Amino acid sequence: MRTLSQLALSDEGFVFDPNTGDSFQVSATGLFLLQALKDGRGDDEAAQLLTEKYEVTLEEARRDCADFRSRLRNLNLA
Amino acid sequence: MPPSLTIALSGINAIDNPGPGVGVARSLKEDPDLHARILGLAYDAMEPGIYMDWVVDKSYIMPYPSGDGDAYFDRLAFIRDQQGIDFLIPNFDAELPLYIKRASKLAEAGFKTFLPTMEQFKLRGKDKLIEVAERIDIGLPKTRVVSSLDQFAAAIEEIKLPVMVKGSFYKAYRAYTYAEAIGHYHALVAEWGYPIIVQEIVTGEELNVIGVGDGAGGSLGLVGIKKMSVTALGKIWTGVTIKHAAMLEATQRFIREYRWRGPFELECIVRDEDVFLIEINPRFPAWVYFATGVGVNLPARMVRHCLGLPVPPTPDYEAGKLFVRYTYELVTDMSTFQKAITRGEAP
Amino acid sequence: MKLAYEKPVINKLRSGLMNKFGWSPAYARKVRTNIDGVSIDDLVERYGSPLFVYSERTARQRYRQMYNAFSTRYPNVQFGWSYKTNYLQAVCALMHQEGAIAEVVSAMEYDKARALGMPGDQIIFNGPHKPYAALEKAVSEGAVINIDHLDEIVDLETIAKKLGRTVHVGMRLNLDAGIYPQWSRFGFNLESGQALDAVKRMASGGKLKLNGLHCHIGTFIMDPQAYAREVEKMVKFGYEIEDAFGFGMEYLDIGGGFPSQSRLKGVYLPPEVAIPNIDEYAETITTALSHALKPGDFPKLIIESGRALIDEAGYLVTTVVATKRLVDGTRAYVADAGVNLLFTAFWYKFNVELDREAGGVNETSVIYGPLCMNIDAIDEGIQLPPLKRGARLIFSPVGAYNNTQWLQFIEYRPNVVLVTTNGEVEVIREAEDLSDIQRRERLPKHLELLKKA
Repeated sequence: MRTLSQLALSDEGFVFDPNTGDSFQVSATGLFLLQALKDGRGDDEAAQLLTEKYEVTLEEARRDCADFRSRLRNLNLA
Repeated sequence: MPPSLTIALSGINAIDNPGPGVGVARSLKEDPDLHARILGLAYDAMEPGIYMDWVVDKSYIMPYPSGDGDAYFDRLAFIRDQQGIDFLIPNFDAELPLYIKRASKLAEAGFKTFLPTMEQFKLRGKDKLIEVAERIDIGLPKTRVVSSLDQFAAAIEEIKLPVMVKGSFYKAYRAYTYAEAIGHYHALVAEWGYPIIVQEIVTGEELNVIGVGDGAGGSLGLVGIKKMSVTALGKIWTGVTIKHAAMLEATQRFIREYRWRGPFELECIVRDEDVFLIEINPRFPAWVYFATGVGVNLPARMVRHCLGLPVPPTPDYEAGKLFVRYTYELVTDMSTFQKAITRGEAP
Repeated sequence: MKLAYEKPVINKLRSGLMNKFGWSPAYARKVRTNIDGVSIDDLVERYGSPLFVYSERTARQRYRQMYNAFSTRYPNVQFGWSYKTNYLQAVCALMHQEGAIAEVVSAMEYDKARALGMPGDQIIFNGPHKPYAALEKAVSEGAVINIDHLDEIVDLETIAKKLGRTVHVGMRLNLDAGIYPQWSRFGFNLESGQALDAVKRMASGGKLKLNGLHCHIGTFIMDPQAYAREVEKMVKFGYEIEDAFGFGMEYLDIGGGFPSQSRLKGVYLPPEVAIPNIDEYAETITTALSHALKPGDFPKLIIESGRALIDEAGYLVTTVVATKRLVDGTRAYVADAGVNLLFTAFWYKFNVELDREAGGVNETSVIYGPLCMNIDAIDEGIQLPPLKRGARLIFSPVGAYNNTQWLQFIEYRPNVVLVTTNGEVEVIREAEDLSDIQRRERLPKHLELLKKA
């Protein structure tokens, strides 16, 4: 989580990790999730927030949150 | 002051295997009458030209020409609608077939280019060099075009090591051992596909000519050079202008015989008076600015010729002018990079 | 109001791959909502997924375009439909309606052509394996036979003797047309003198009369000049044997091998650029013919094209049945069809279209098929937006070789439909069920399992 909190996020979906120098591109919903996770929300809460802002069922949002989280782990971001 | 010309060009990857774009852009900028505004067409957000704002005014990321042709030209139309494009100079071999195949559609859409025809373009095929060499009366190292490992082995057997191993579009490697040759073969196939060219290594001086043909058998200017030192990839690092009569005459014959249209580079090896043709590049070489530096601004002359602007008489150049490439660094913050990534255009 | 949802994606930027269009919705995605006006939704709803769909309009257009390219340049052209490319009856019948005769390479294909109603003299029988009985039947029915090897000459002489008449035959040559690999295992080699020896053998036997030459230089030939070299050599050889043995060549069968707009793996440029159009082939071939032939001599030019005629007419509609994330972070999809139905996936990179717009940033994705085998991957690196389970992917061109080389392995083969020129949908091959798989099996009594009462 330390990495996550240090990430520099731009509104346009550009993400820079000052730790490693890696850059990332993230979709709008990805940015939303990243922000939520960065703010310390758990997966369930993040999924809930997604459903409030976007046209998506809680079930799909949950699945996508879990997938996104595993992707972040892959990228050594969480 | 006349209005500025907006010229879009690709190849602004001024890296260790540089594209010609930055040299072409710089040449155009140096013609005081053109007031050229340069739009860089890039394939990667890290192409240095994007960051060289004194040479390239604005850059756009393009879809790869190897993908869907429609996507590529939709993107060009988008850029034209945003910025206006008075002239278009594709600088990569891999782009040319797409442009040439669509030449009439491009013209209809109002894009001005000056490119070889498909027949001329095909002459650059290493298998066609035999025919070209004969027609313009110039030598040719033993060359085999292969598309399988069996054939590749047979070609090496025939030509004997060491050999040059070349990709169908880019890159050429010298191989001293069979294992080395196979390594190059696989790398080239993986990157560029078939065919692969195996060529005898002819020793001698490596001389090159840059020129632009007017499409009617005439030339808009020629400059001959010798590469004094090259990088590991065979790219010129230092060079000197020369006037090798046999080579320049062969080049004139090349332009006349094929009524060459557009820019080109002939790569030759000269051993005493024997000139061997190694390669025809149907575009400006990356060292195009060398010619501009000695007073033969070929990109500007080409643009003038095509747009009906006055073209001054073909200038002569001096032999013995030196070309020194050097490294230099630029430090900037991430905003241009970020825009190239997220918006596909920068700055 | 809530915003439209797209799945969250994060991509790491890698040097050399920082191209926005790899990820862009606008430039990297293709959407196909219908085939010749029939919606993909409708097709899947009625006929299931996966589903092969053929466009009658495209098939006929391709045929006419190619036939015209040759027939406007040479006065005596005959197409032979290459059965092995696609021997669905509807496809063969359509090609025959357009004017093609049948080109078959096995006893099974011969039977198929006959069953479809093609008379023997409208069939060209090629290939290295012509069983004696099939050969005898073909000869007696007047088929064009192109001899592959010496043993076949012996068989044909036996048949001629039995029938008590001279039999007209053609022979297959293999020659160096500058194409690698050279297909030297079929027919008689020209340059080494093997072909000439075979002609001598026929002449001395007195039972066979050689009246045609056949050759097929390879597959997916992207250089029209290769055909020019082929044709020149065939004509020259034809005149040589005419002078020496009095055998006049009534036909030159130059085989097929013409490419479709499919994308071969390992070719950098898009097919639009890399593949010459059919007019270039026709021009090169007919020019070479007219240079090589004596004035006034117009032997029948037979062309056995398959792929170039039918590939673009075929689509495979598939459905994503699962989405996965691989260990290395790559997105993977499991489709309901894989290499079992798309045998040509081993050498082609297909055009992949979505059935609807999908939002979001593209990711490098892998498309797997349904088989429990590692090799079952249709595309191992494609930029796709995140797809939901149930999304449809349409692969094309798939009309050539897939319906003849498909595997029955562990799955039923699906429906094949034809969208007709007037926009109707006809099933041309029904989906299989267990009875198709088991119909030929016999279970010995002692192996029968006890049925529960």
